[in-house]
Amino acid sequence: MTHVLKRVFAALAVVLSANAALAEDRPRVVAVNQALQYLAERLLDGAADVVFPVPEGVDPSFWRPSIADISMVQSADLILLNGAGFATWIDRVSLPRSRVVNTSKAIEGQFIVTQSITHSHGDGGEHSHEGVASYIWLDPTLAIAQAEAIASAITTRDLAGDGDVQARLDDLTSDMMALDATAQDALSSLQGVEMIATHPRYQYFARRYGLSVTSLEWEAGAMPTEDQRAELERLGDELNARILIWEAQPPRAAVEAANELGFQSVVFEPWAGHATHNTFFEAFSYAVSALAKAAKQASN
Amino acid sequence: MDGSVIRALALSCLAVAVPFGAAAHQLVVFASVECAAVTVEAKFSNGRVTQQGDVRVLDGENNLLTTLQLGRDGTATVPLDSVDHSGGLVIEVDTGSHDNYWIVTPEDIARKCGS
Repeated sequence: MTHVLKRVFAALAVVLSANAALAEDRPRVVAVNQALQYLAERLLDGAADVVFPVPEGVDPSFWRPSIADISMVQSADLILLNGAGFATWIDRVSLPRSRVVNTSKAIEGQFIVTQSITHSHGDGGEHSHEGVASYIWLDPTLAIAQAEAIASAITTRDLAGDGDVQARLDDLTSDMMALDATAQDALSSLQGVEMIATHPRYQYFARRYGLSVTSLEWEAGAMPTEDQRAELERLGDELNARILIWEAQPPRAAVEAANELGFQSVVFEPWAGHATHNTFFEAFSYAVSALAKAAKQASN
Repeated sequence: MDGSVIRALALSCLAVAVPFGAAAHQLVVFASVECAAVTVEAKFSNGRVTQQGDVRVLDGENNLLTTLQLGRDGTATVPLDSVDHSGGLVIEVDTGSHDNYWIVTPEDIARKCGS
């Protein structure tokens, strides 16, 4: 009996160590934002770990990584960059060129040039939103282009089978096109309706659907100051805007303050950092539906 | 070329130059690793050389290891035998008005030392 038990334990040990080795051997893909993480996960379907290394509550555009974070990134099998100036940290470290993919390289001609505004918020220090708008994926047709770049990188590096990745890309593209069609339909009622966003995130979304969104520079999900509320009131009157888009759920008092100024609040999580919705599609659909509803109420 | 043409030319040059001068510029920091030292370079994004500034060298726990001064050519050298670099280094450059950083991992150093 003792011999039998010993053999069983030995076999178990072999299985466990093999599993541990397999876990260590799994390919690792690093994405600079949550949208790219989502696209990569859809395309890999578990064939690799897809890591979005930015902690919750930190703006991934201005994240300052630690040395350990960069060691982890450097050892990844694939590093997915957004391009368009997103994630300033990538210019402050050495990355292995052969494993880095700029997912928006093929669509650089469609970038939106923005104004230069220097300001500071959070722990990221002073920074400026200049050059080009970087939330490309909020136009589903551009998100498809980014997904195509990721799919190509995955198959080139043999992280998953060509046929499998192509089938998943087809599914993802189909979902994105359906989402785009839904948005086109739902947002048609917002043509000519002025909106204000608490941060400049929605340039590609606005362009895709012919919307007019003017941006403020507020902290995500924070209570606006008195000066900011005054600025909102002034801008609202100037533009005749009555819809306010937040990138994260603000405190109830902030919604009430906006309401007192005549604004309806809509939360549209852009899926750059950690979002509360389960998928990109869920967040996008929720926002589209909320915007359409707000437009209807504003017109009554 | 009469005076009015020169004035018009100068004004149009100014009109072109002002937007660039007014544009925000950033401090760009780069550190190249060799086996014996890390060479730090700093310049502004408009191409101007950073002629003075503090170079702070920190470890992975954000402990300050040493502070150096940028040279007039915008560079500074951190001899690796002068700091504990086993956990990597964070190089911060601060000009007083601008600051930025570069991260050197232990792997960056090992790669350059052939280990």
